Amino acid sequence: MSMDSPRRSPDDHHPTDTSELQLEIESILLKHLPLDPDSLPPLQRQQHLQYLVRNLVQGFPSRYISQDASQAWLLYWTLQSFGVLGVVLDPGNKQRAIDKILAWQHPEGGFGGGPGQAAHLLTTYASVSALAIVGRPGAGGGWDQIDREKLYAFFMSLKQPDGSFLVTHHAEVDVRGMYCLLVVAYLLNLLTPELLQGTPGFIASCQTYEGGFSSASQPYYTAVAEGWGTLLEDIRPSLGEAHGGYTFCALASWVMIQPYLEVSQSRSTTAATTTPTTTRGNPSIDYKRLLRWLVQMQGSETELGGFKGRTNKLVDGCYSWWVGGCFALLASLGVGGHAHDAGNQEHTADGNGEWDDDTDESVWDKAALQKYILCAAQHPAAGLRDKPPKGADAYHTLYCLAGLSAAQHTVRPLPARRAEIDQAWCETLGSSHQQLRRVAFADALAWSEEEGLSHVLGGSVNRVNATHPVFNLTTTHTQGIMSYFYKQTVPRRT
Amino acid sequence: MEEDQGLFADRPEWADVVPIEQYEGAPPIAPIFYTPEYKDATNYFRGIIKTGEKSPRVLDLTENVIRQNPAHYSAWQYRYKTLIALNAPLDAELELMDELAVTYLKTYQVWHYRRLLVQQTNNPEPELAFIANALQSDAKNYHTWSYRQWILAHFNDDALWRGELAFVEHMLDSDLRNNSAWHHRFFVVFQSGVREGDEDRDVVLRRELTVVKTKIAIAPSNASAWNYLRGMLDHSKTPYSTLRSFVAPYSVPHPEQHEAPLEMLWTLRIPSHHQGLNYHASQQLNSWRISMKPPVEMI
Repeated sequence: MSMDSPRRSPDDHHPTDTSELQLEIESILLKHLPLDPDSLPPLQRQQHLQYLVRNLVQGFPSRYISQDASQAWLLYWTLQSFGVLGVVLDPGNKQRAIDKILAWQHPEGGFGGGPGQAAHLLTTYASVSALAIVGRPGAGGGWDQIDREKLYAFFMSLKQPDGSFLVTHHAEVDVRGMYCLLVVAYLLNLLTPELLQGTPGFIASCQTYEGGFSSASQPYYTAVAEGWGTLLEDIRPSLGEAHGGYTFCALASWVMIQPYLEVSQSRSTTAATTTPTTTRGNPSIDYKRLLRWLVQMQGSETELGGFKGRTNKLVDGCYSWWVGGCFALLASLGVGGHAHDAGNQEHTADGNGEWDDDTDESVWDKAALQKYILCAAQHPAAGLRDKPPKGADAYHTLYCLAGLSAAQHTVRPLPARRAEIDQAWCETLGSSHQQLRRVAFADALAWSEEEGLSHVLGGSVNRVNATHPVFNLTTTHTQGIMSYFYKQTVPRRT
Repeated sequence: MEEDQGLFADRPEWADVVPIEQYEGAPPIAPIFYTPEYKDATNYFRGIIKTGEKSPRVLDLTENVIRQNPAHYSAWQYRYKTLIALNAPLDAELELMDELAVTYLKTYQVWHYRRLLVQQTNNPEPELAFIANALQSDAKNYHTWSYRQWILAHFNDDALWRGELAFVEHMLDSDLRNNSAWHHRFFVVFQSGVREGDEDRDVVLRRELTVVKTKIAIAPSNASAWNYLRGMLDHSKTPYSTLRSFVAPYSVPHPEQHEAPLEMLWTLRIPSHHQGLNYHASQQLNSWRISMKPPVEMI
């Protein structure tokens, strides 16, 4: 293959709308291919920071009215972008952010997209995550003002008999809502078996034949005169095709329910009592098929190594995180991790370092994704974007930066760190479901950055912070809010 | 459609409602620069939520908010509660939705709201044609396809299912790379129970093999078709090796290939950034004949 002219996608002499659009975009992307492969544009850190500060201090132009029900997201995207860029907000702006978020809390629990708006799982996630970044305990700090009891009741009111959740009342079921609910339940110490019952089966049912996950699945029930009947496990078709955003949410949820599966299994084997869930068998997902699909989502050299969100669709900077972020999650489940992982990585047996090329030894091309973000996803003025010639926005700015972070760093759960955290666990009086919460706490905080495995394309000036592969918060913010709500002291990293 | 009557603040029939301004700190952080019309409508909407009023004028107000911001999920939710409380005619509402769905195709809310209404009317029949029409302007719209699948599965009526395969064929004829249509085909053929006329599964499998092979022959680099083929083989537990002779002509031989169990499949590094002429086809071969030593370069 020649290096100077990357090959265009073949249309097999049978052009259709899809292939024509693809070739059109490739022509644009090719113009962003650096002439000299050793001289890539740098990360325009200052410009991106100015863009974020402008949004925060001056505000968003009126076209953002379309995001008025996503004010919580606008704030989270902005604050977490600062986090990835290693910038901490001043106390005055932190306080203004906290006050603003608290105005979104609904009297019946949960957070809405703005003041007076109905509580919604997505905006609850964005609000609580934003509070993890800027909040603190005590009066006016945001953390103690979260009504956790009502929030839990809100969660339970959305739960469906197939283990899924509505995103809000009279609204749709989808895996984004489930992901958002689980992250909040993790951060605020709200996990219970009751909340998670049936959820593993729902996640598994959203995996499509391609390997990625869909937005939801359709449950079928036996016919009864009233109520839901019995869920038919073998007929739960996915609604919609495999999609990058839904796949991230489903896979991260799958990672988050592992403590529940572990605890409920050990309970059912040690105790004579059987829980209703065990009668349905253990739901599983097909990791191989998932990994194959994820790898297929990475674009060609002509597409500068960016990710697409569905088969035969275009690359888009936001999938840098939604798809690029999936590899660390999958690696934590023992699939497709680094070639020189210690222990049980079977695929290293015959590898002998043959396809280690020092810069990239994982199943996806981390250098290529960094290239896409640096060359194509940075808007020439400021902020990051889907693809040229589009404009920058708050959403793409975060998910391009988070994707860049995933491509630069290796973050994974370290067994030694996990053991350290687990041993330091202090039982708290009056807290229920200690076993589940203890496992979840240690699992969540065991994720650690492997300093020696970072590969920053373009040198250290382009380096961004590592972000938690499950929560998309920095590990510092994750540890801060979780140790507070679990009433635990986390041992220092040694 | 609502006529332009100016701001709610200037309308005498709204004088009894106390509008509520949105909380903004001083100085505000990350504010949105609202237009006067949007500020006005949402101020009155917050006022209505506070009093809990559910009256015909609330339908006007929520329609106004929705037209300015179709992603305002609280306005949709409140509109639905009002509609039910008033026992308002659902046909008129569906007519309005016919217009809004096409205008705001990409929002979650228009599609879910439609679900709520159709569950009330219990009349899914006109929906399939409506959806087919919506797909003409956006052939890969995720919500639209999901909605179609929901209509079929939820009502699960043989009359609804009857035309689906022909519909998929029609969509694939206009673009055989439309992955949404391929997914829909999988949903119809394999995932939602056995349909009328499809009772003999061997016949179905052979039919689908013929279809996918024909479409691969037309465009061998089409990943959607190959994924469908793999999906149906997995689903029916048909060994990949049965298709060796079909796949071979589309493949670029690789020198050091050895047979290995399929379990090895996932260890392969697929160098997607080294794209070649028969990229997808070679990738397929790679999946059939597993190399013990993963190739660094495919071509």
